[in-house]
Amino acid sequence: MLVFLPVSLEEAFDAFEQCPDAHFLAGGTDFMVEVNFALRRPPAVVCLRRVEELQGWRVEGSEVVLGAGITYTELLAPRLGELLPGLAQASRTVGSPQIRNAGTVGGNLGTASPAGDSLPVLAALDAKIVVASKHGRRSLELADLIVGPKRTTLAPGEVIVEVRVPAALGSQQFLKVGTRNAMVIAVANVALVADWAGRSVRCALGSVGPVVIRAREAEEFISARIDWEGRTPPSDGDLAEFTALVRSAARPIDDHRSTADYRRHSVGVCAERALGRVFSGDNREASERTSWAS
Amino acid sequence: MSELTEDKGAPDGGPALPQRPVMLELDLTINGDQYRLTCEPGDTLLTVLRRLGLFSVRFGSGTGESGAAAVLFDGRLVSADVMLAGQASGHKVTTVESLDVATGELDPIQQAFVDIGALQSGYSAGAMVLAARALIEANPDPSEAEIRDALSGILDRETGYVKVVEAIRRAAAARRGEKVPPVEPVVLEPLTGPGSTERRVPSAEALQAPLAMPHVVLSSDVAITAVVGKPEPKVDALRLAKGRPVFTDDIDLRHMLYAKVLRSPHAHARILAIDDSEARALPGVHAVIHYGNTPRVKYATGGQTWPNPAPWDQVSFDNKVRFVGDRVAAVAAETLGIAEEACRRIKVTYEVLPGVFDEVEAIAPGAPLVHDETDTEGIYDAAHNKSHHIEGQTVTDEALEAAFASAKHVFQQTFHVQQQQHAPLEPHITIGWLDDDDRLVLRSSTQVPYHVRRMVAPLLGLPVRRIRVIKPRIGGGFGGKQEMLIEDIVGYLVLATRRPIRLELTRSEEFACARCRHAMTLTLRTGVDDDGHLVAQDMHVVSNTGAYGTHGSTVNTVGGMHGMSIYNCPAKRFRCDVVYTNRPVSGAFRGYGAPQNFFAVESQMDDIARALGMDPYELRRKNWVQVGDPLDIVPRLGERGDVVEIPQEDLPRIMSCGLQECGAQGTRAIGWERRNDPSWRQPADRPTIRRGIGMGSAIQGSGIPFVDMGACSIKINDDGSFNMLVGATDVGGGSDTVLAQIVAEVLGVELKDIIVTSSDTDITPFDVGAYASSTTYVSGGAAKKAAEAARARIVTRAARLLDLDDPGSVELHDRRAWGPDGRSISLGDLALNSLHTEDQEQIMGTASHYGTASAPPFAVQLAEVEVDVETGQVTVKKLVTAIDCGVPINPITASGQVEGAMLQSLGYALTEDLVLDASGKLVNDRFGPYWIFRADDAPVCEAILVQTMEPSGPFGAKAVGEVPMDGIAPAVRNAVLNATGVKVNQLPLLPERVWRALNNVPTSG
Ligand SMILES: Cc1cc2nc3c(=O)[nH]c(=O)nc-3n(C[C@H](O)[C@H](O)[C@H](O)COP(=O)(O)OP(=O)(O)OC[C@H]3O[C@@H](n4cnc5c(N)ncnc54)[C@H](O)[C@@H]3O)c2cc1C
Repeated sequence: MLVFLPVSLEEAFDAFEQCPDAHFLAGGTDFMVEVNFALRRPPAVVCLRRVEELQGWRVEGSEVVLGAGITYTELLAPRLGELLPGLAQASRTVGSPQIRNAGTVGGNLGTASPAGDSLPVLAALDAKIVVASKHGRRSLELADLIVGPKRTTLAPGEVIVEVRVPAALGSQQFLKVGTRNAMVIAVANVALVADWAGRSVRCALGSVGPVVIRAREAEEFISARIDWEGRTPPSDGDLAEFTALVRSAARPIDDHRSTADYRRHSVGVCAERALGRVFSGDNREASERTSWAS
Repeated sequence: MSELTEDKGAPDGGPALPQRPVMLELDLTINGDQYRLTCEPGDTLLTVLRRLGLFSVRFGSGTGESGAAAVLFDGRLVSADVMLAGQASGHKVTTVESLDVATGELDPIQQAFVDIGALQSGYSAGAMVLAARALIEANPDPSEAEIRDALSGILDRETGYVKVVEAIRRAAAARRGEKVPPVEPVVLEPLTGPGSTERRVPSAEALQAPLAMPHVVLSSDVAITAVVGKPEPKVDALRLAKGRPVFTDDIDLRHMLYAKVLRSPHAHARILAIDDSEARALPGVHAVIHYGNTPRVKYATGGQTWPNPAPWDQVSFDNKVRFVGDRVAAVAAETLGIAEEACRRIKVTYEVLPGVFDEVEAIAPGAPLVHDETDTEGIYDAAHNKSHHIEGQTVTDEALEAAFASAKHVFQQTFHVQQQQHAPLEPHITIGWLDDDDRLVLRSSTQVPYHVRRMVAPLLGLPVRRIRVIKPRIGGGFGGKQEMLIEDIVGYLVLATRRPIRLELTRSEEFACARCRHAMTLTLRTGVDDDGHLVAQDMHVVSNTGAYGTHGSTVNTVGGMHGMSIYNCPAKRFRCDVVYTNRPVSGAFRGYGAPQNFFAVESQMDDIARALGMDPYELRRKNWVQVGDPLDIVPRLGERGDVVEIPQEDLPRIMSCGLQECGAQGTRAIGWERRNDPSWRQPADRPTIRRGIGMGSAIQGSGIPFVDMGACSIKINDDGSFNMLVGATDVGGGSDTVLAQIVAEVLGVELKDIIVTSSDTDITPFDVGAYASSTTYVSGGAAKKAAEAARARIVTRAARLLDLDDPGSVELHDRRAWGPDGRSISLGDLALNSLHTEDQEQIMGTASHYGTASAPPFAVQLAEVEVDVETGQVTVKKLVTAIDCGVPINPITASGQVEGAMLQSLGYALTEDLVLDASGKLVNDRFGPYWIFRADDAPVCEAILVQTMEPSGPFGAKAVGEVPMDGIAPAVRNAVLNATGVKVNQLPLLPERVWRALNNVPTSG
């Protein structure tokens, strides 16, 4: 096995050219588990940690541009946390300090797990993902990048370079139901954005389908019913209809963590609460926690 | 760009074996020093650091989930087990060894960990100290929530995190220059007993003291002592805090080979053939063993007293596999990678048989037979998969039915409890080698070194004298290491290769192939009169022992014995079938059958109270046993059906009992009355939340009378210090410390005057090992007797040196021997005199002790919960345990045991379950999906030690380690009942299960 430590994208592409079977490695928190379990024996790895272009973040106009190598810990820092509150909420529920210090958004995308916690937020924000290879760059929507459980449309040698999301857009909520809140794979997670200016609600569901699902019908229904001027909470009837539409958008399966029934039920509860919180201005922790955090 | 290679590997990237692996070079700054290292490209940072001798960084899971491998990476905490070493090149790595600079000096964080008793086994001590350091550096005054978040990726199965959090708070305060209060027990006023009928509240001071300080209710009949009863730091705390190489794996042996076990992919199959030729042909492979080349010697793996209880239903390698993960073969090779590859190359032909997993299905006619071999003796009823049958009753069947007929109310329910895994942070590991005399040395993470030596001998065909078993520090046991689980494999491979062999279970193997708590279906019928007095109790248990019957008879006997002993009831019957299935193997686990039985007994008590309109606490108070009451079912349990006639006066009796005080303290601490307030139960501002409070109570034993035995040997040194040799096995709970405190007390010296050596079969005297809550009570008795024997020699000499006629008039305290006239001689001078000057003698004391009683400890446990009625999520806000463990010899280690047990049993109540798929394969064999509580989601845990004076225990002590495991699950279940009115009679109380119960949603499919 070869280990490459490029410091620029050009070098990363060169490494890949030298060794076309190489795997990219960012924080390693997904990849190394597989290596340790001998599920993967890559002939070569290209470490992305030091690639300049993947680091840090910047604001460009109304957009925040995140380097793919941004860690959850960085997303939790005050300034970025204010610009991207939904991502910060999701980051707080990820793993543990060790995982948040090492794990990256690029890696969450690359792994493409249906339970990846940053993914519903990116979907709800209509994020653009910029990928690049020796042969050029392209920008794509999440749904065009992740097409199945652990399946992406990345071409060999293509690196996720950055993620572009609108800055401080409306109100954002992220909720997660697990056996407990963090470190467990979610039974269901939901990201919801209420874009006051654009007069739309966007709602993305994780862990209840092969990929993150946008609950489009629910979004359209509730966007049309909300009193955008007065910002009054939706009626109980509208909330119930919204929740029902969210549930029907879900495509969950049974597994040992929970049945499809319960997943469908919970994703509805999460969405309903997320919408409720948007109006009550309740910015409590993303998931119910014990007294220590309250 | 740097490219970290010297040599080009196999171009296809397939298994590079058997070629020489390609090495890569890396530059690292470790603890301030520059290193240029070579390693294999796939190596993790963990591997590289350990190879350098930085043993404080430890294996926990290989998935980043356990935290034992956490290090600081450029100042930030990361998991070295999921970091590629190559990726770390050019970075700064810090381990806890960096703090170990001056002899005897401790970093303030480490000092705080030592003082407050934050380390039990200390397996993850290095990681925790580093996490604390990173936190305090960034945030000098962290809140409790911030401390808990910083610790949230480092699992601790032992402390309940209570004292760890407090240690970090103290360290931060010390660093800010604040004065930290000394570690002292917080004394609480008794609430019951003579002269205290009125409700008293603890002082404001007591209420403000951190919960991590031991809270003790003193009993007036306990003598004043100098060392016993004091919150002494553990004798091993320093080396643990420093991350010293004290665990099994923390040694470097030349020419060591790595072992790997090939495990069955099938739940039930016959092995028709094994072809190991390709595995043997692989360069680097030194031995392959399986049923074809190892002797068929029947044994039982449970680490129990000779002769091990029947049935002896295992052989090292069988021609049949009985659960997914059962042993098929084992390999020894130059590297772990080669050993794994060799396992893949062993060709096994299986005849796959249908499996059976549920205990009730397994006894139904026509079920697949798990043990159809002809050479296992002592299976109770192999044709119905019954490994054992246990019965015991205090009256005849007719009298029992008459009692039920006379009862005003009869309640009957069936409860289901699951398999729970011990999940010690250190997996099972054994390293074996031949010493200079070709004797087999086994360095093993075991609770039972002496049993292992005796049990492994016949398998290997060696006499006991050719074997030495050493138990170093061990990273948690909880009963899982009361087994001879892997030592035989290591022994075979050492003998086959004559090279050192290392075998460590992976985390996945630890979950699937080690041991777990018995799953049970328990049906309990109870008759009560209108006042709530119990008139008849009848328990029928079907207990799932999995593929083998290890501990099957004892766990289920003990479980019934305790479950049926907490209440006075004139007619009791207990029946249990222990059943083979193709599930993972059940065995010993803290509580030893009692948690299952108490889940049924204590849940039903609340249902009875509800039906009768009584307070469940009052109902218990009415029925709890007291001092003087007989333990009437205890001597009657066995494999017989008839009532054993025992004269009343021959029944074992309770000689100390703090149950009533425990109840009063526990209900005070939890705020019991709130459970009756509807506006508290249903908070107006949180419409989906319901609150509730529940109780569970329990009794356990202190060792097994006439069976458990410990021994101790003591000798004096020139300076008046003593060596204490004990066979007792400290599994992290602190028995080395507690035994040394007992010895120091008798000899009138300080704890630091006692040098402890434990658990080495060549050096220390025999002990049955760490189980059945026996160490303090039984081995403590031996320590006390041995110290008294040495004391007798000391006072004799002191009398002579002080010109006194009566050695009985000499007292030992303050490291001196004192005459009645106030003259004294230091023990150092006395030792010099005895060793060098006149009538020379090595002053020694040696003694053994076995219990003739098993004084029961008691606990009352309470839980406050919030139930989210929309999701079924149960959040436990607070747990309280008020425990009567006699006189706690060390209130810190005792309260630490209680705190750890509370959290471990909370996992049993809420999250932990070994889940199999339809084929019998364990699906949650990782710490993520197998959820154990972390620092950031653990509730407030309050432990209250209620002293009683137990006449049969050393200095009044009883056991402490197990009883707090028993009552939490029913307390949580009863709290959910109080909150919602819904009875959930199956563990764990997962959100979905509770949601279904709340909404009456049946499970589909
Ligand atoms: C203990 C533990 C707890 C966890 N908890 C959570 C959790 O709560 N929620 C959650 O969502 N996840 C969790 N994870 C999973 C993991 O941490 C995240 O998915 C993380 O975002 C992965 O990032 P990484 O940088 O470590 O990825 P890596 O492991 O380095 O890479 C993952 C995959 O992405 C590819 N990749 C990485 N970067 C790029 C790039 N720039 N371009 C192209 N491909 C790339 C890699 O080739 C690889 O296939 C947990 C993991 C562990 C070990």
